[in-house]
Amino acid sequence: MTAGIYVSIILFAPVVAFGLLAVAAPIRERGTLAGWLVAAATGATLWAALALFFGQLSDPQTLEWTIRWMSGGSADFAQVGWRVDGVSAGMAVVVSLVALCVQVYSMEYLADEAPGSRGRYFSWHALFVFSMQSLVLAPNLLQLFMGWELVGLCSYLLIGYYWRKPEAGKASLKAFWVTKFADSFLLMGLVVLVAATGSFSWDLPAGLSQGTITAVAVLLFIGAMGKAAQMPLHVWLPDAMAGPTPVSALLHAATMVAAGVYLIVRGWPVFEASETALTMMVWVGAVTAFSAGCLALLQDDVKKLLAFSTCSQLGYMMAALGAGSMAAGYFHLTTHAFFKALLFLTAGSLIHAVHSNNMSEMGGLRRTMPVTFGLFIIGAAALAGLPGVSGFFSKDMVLEALSHDAQWGPLVLCLAGVAVTAAYMTRAVLTIFFGEARGAHKAHEPGWRMLVPMLALGVPSLAVGLFVGDFQSLVGEPGYSATEMLSHFIGLPALGVLLALIGFGAGYAEFKGTKLPAPAGLGDWLRSRPMDRFYEAAWNRAVLVVARGVAWIDRYIIDAAMNLVGWGALAGGDYSRRIQTGRAADYMWAIGMGTLAVVAYGLLGGS
Amino acid sequence: MSTVPLQAWMLLAALIFSVGLAGLFTRRNAVAVLLSVELMANAVNLNLVAFGYHRGDLEGQVMALFGVALTVAEIIVGLALIILMNRTHKSIDIDSATELSG
Amino acid sequence: MIVFIPLALALVACSVAVIATKDLIHAVLLLGGTLMLTAGAYVALEADFVAAVQLMLYTGGVVTLLLFGVMLSQRVESARVLVHSKTWHRGLLSGLAFFALAAWAILSSELPASAVLIESDAQAVGKLFLTRHVAAFETLSVLLLAAMIGAIVLARKTDA
Repeated sequence: MTAGIYVSIILFAPVVAFGLLAVAAPIRERGTLAGWLVAAATGATLWAALALFFGQLSDPQTLEWTIRWMSGGSADFAQVGWRVDGVSAGMAVVVSLVALCVQVYSMEYLADEAPGSRGRYFSWHALFVFSMQSLVLAPNLLQLFMGWELVGLCSYLLIGYYWRKPEAGKASLKAFWVTKFADSFLLMGLVVLVAATGSFSWDLPAGLSQGTITAVAVLLFIGAMGKAAQMPLHVWLPDAMAGPTPVSALLHAATMVAAGVYLIVRGWPVFEASETALTMMVWVGAVTAFSAGCLALLQDDVKKLLAFSTCSQLGYMMAALGAGSMAAGYFHLTTHAFFKALLFLTAGSLIHAVHSNNMSEMGGLRRTMPVTFGLFIIGAAALAGLPGVSGFFSKDMVLEALSHDAQWGPLVLCLAGVAVTAAYMTRAVLTIFFGEARGAHKAHEPGWRMLVPMLALGVPSLAVGLFVGDFQSLVGEPGYSATEMLSHFIGLPALGVLLALIGFGAGYAEFKGTKLPAPAGLGDWLRSRPMDRFYEAAWNRAVLVVARGVAWIDRYIIDAAMNLVGWGALAGGDYSRRIQTGRAADYMWAIGMGTLAVVAYGLLGGS
Repeated sequence: MSTVPLQAWMLLAALIFSVGLAGLFTRRNAVAVLLSVELMANAVNLNLVAFGYHRGDLEGQVMALFGVALTVAEIIVGLALIILMNRTHKSIDIDSATELSG
Repeated sequence: MIVFIPLALALVACSVAVIATKDLIHAVLLLGGTLMLTAGAYVALEADFVAAVQLMLYTGGVVTLLLFGVMLSQRVESARVLVHSKTWHRGLLSGLAFFALAAWAILSSELPASAVLIESDAQAVGKLFLTRHVAAFETLSVLLLAAMIGAIVLARKTDA
């Protein structure tokens, strides 16, 4: 079968499922049926994506098919369609695998919800898979942007799923607005690109000024910052945890936030050409990696901890890209998708068991939930970068890229981040699984519909690292295979592991009650959410002032002009009314002078 | 009398017509307005007769006679209207009839 | 020419006086004078029949006007208030404008060559009336009839 058919399955199966659920209410009302329908569609998507992926492995070439959507400017102005190459095929597999696992998991996680609500939930899942895949397979920036906006919409819908909870509604709006703010920069970047080159394609034509390239790259990166929750636009991601845990796993760990990184990977010719953008990326990424990790240390809510962890890991990806290694960023994206989704799903299993998000209400669960415990350990190890696990290879690639590009400042930050990551994960593991049980409920393992997806994600979390060589050939960069990396153990990899162990030790010590040296009050200040307060103040001062100014203009200038027109008409009418005096003498005068004027014109003027 | 050029007669008639026109816009008494109209008609007739004389035939005189008859008819009706106006407005001041005022 | 110039001057003076005088009876009498002077002009233009008709009809008409003018003005109070100073500029302006226009038209146009007058008397005029212009003549008599009937209908007293 040709690539085109596989792509059609990838795109049409989910959108057909969405369409059916949107239109046919009887199917939607039966939540379980809706769930299986969407899972089947996603399964078909996964099958087709795997076919494409293995096809790319054996025969790497770029396949593209486009059709013209709008005309204007040059011939290839606005095209839609698909592009399959190593990068997009790999991402398509990641998206569909994680989505399938999450959807099966959701069927049990949301079993207590009303069937109609579940139908609504699954229909949005179908829409999300379609949107994300059309973003991944986009042949140009225009379709990527369309998919981008659609996934933003799905995020809004899914975060607000528990609409009866006020914080869910506020969180979904906040996510929407912050990403929309960043998306305005993305749109500006798009406009500049189109104005300069006449098409949305990523291949840069020669002869563009450096200023234009930098402008486009920086604007696009700011858009990616919003979606990938980099500082300072990270504020929406912790709040987005108000949505159901499977949604957090799919959107806000593995795929949607990865779209920001994917944009940069896809548009690599543009970013590669701009030193300014790369420098910005590496510093923003490194700072986020470290500071989000520190924030994760302060969290009691396990989902918020994982959210900050996601911010931090995305920072690693951005730093890698900024250091010039597209492969490192993309590989870390892939491994992170698997282990972070696994961590979220296991967290969901814990939350489902103890009916609370807070780690302080969990404890000693390793005895009652062994499978969950094991899987959580796998995910935590991958996250911390312990040797042999997938996360080790990808994180090491990131660090290697930073040192290769001589980005010493960001490298220090990222290494510190390694220690912090290990520390918070250790604290989490110890608090949740060791010690005495603090929860009121009797904890137990979840059913097979939750366990099987978790296991399914556990495998790649462990094993994907071994395929690092194939990965690099996929993205077309030379590199070294897994065994080679293990043999280069001394140097950066060893430093990484050492720092992880330090972090492990710090976490263990804190768990045992040793107070660690830290500036007094820092924790409380960080907990008071300074960034959110800053944004709110800025909103009140700046934006509202402008809005009031505009309202003033609207009332006193525009409305006044309109009223002037109305008043003028009435006054004019009132004034002209006085011509009709009713006196015959005036009418005679008018007729006489008018006739005289006409005659004079005829005699003198017209000739 | 053929030394009087046609233009002289035409200018004279035009002058009398202008005087009548001035009176038409100036006077407030309805009867005085009728007198002004009379003057204008008279000037026209004078013009016609002068043209006829200049042409050498009697067409001008015939037209002037028609004009006289028409003017008489017009004065008859005008006077009837003045009588009516007097009856309804109790005045022959043309400024007193302002029913068409907007 | 010796007849024309005094005649012209008298005509203009009389017509200005008609419109300028405040007294209505004077105005009517002056109009009668104007009309008689016009009759004299007709004689100078060798239109004797027309002059005669002018005198008969117009002097008779003028008498009617006089009678009515006197009757109406003396019975109604407001007739005496007729000071027309408010709109004299209208008359001046329009008169001057028209005369300027007419004078310009007259003086700048080419008039055809004059011809010698043929026999001009009542018989000739009558013949014309009943041959070439008979349709207009008959219509005119209908018009006069209509005018008379209309005037009577308009002015009669209705017992309301």
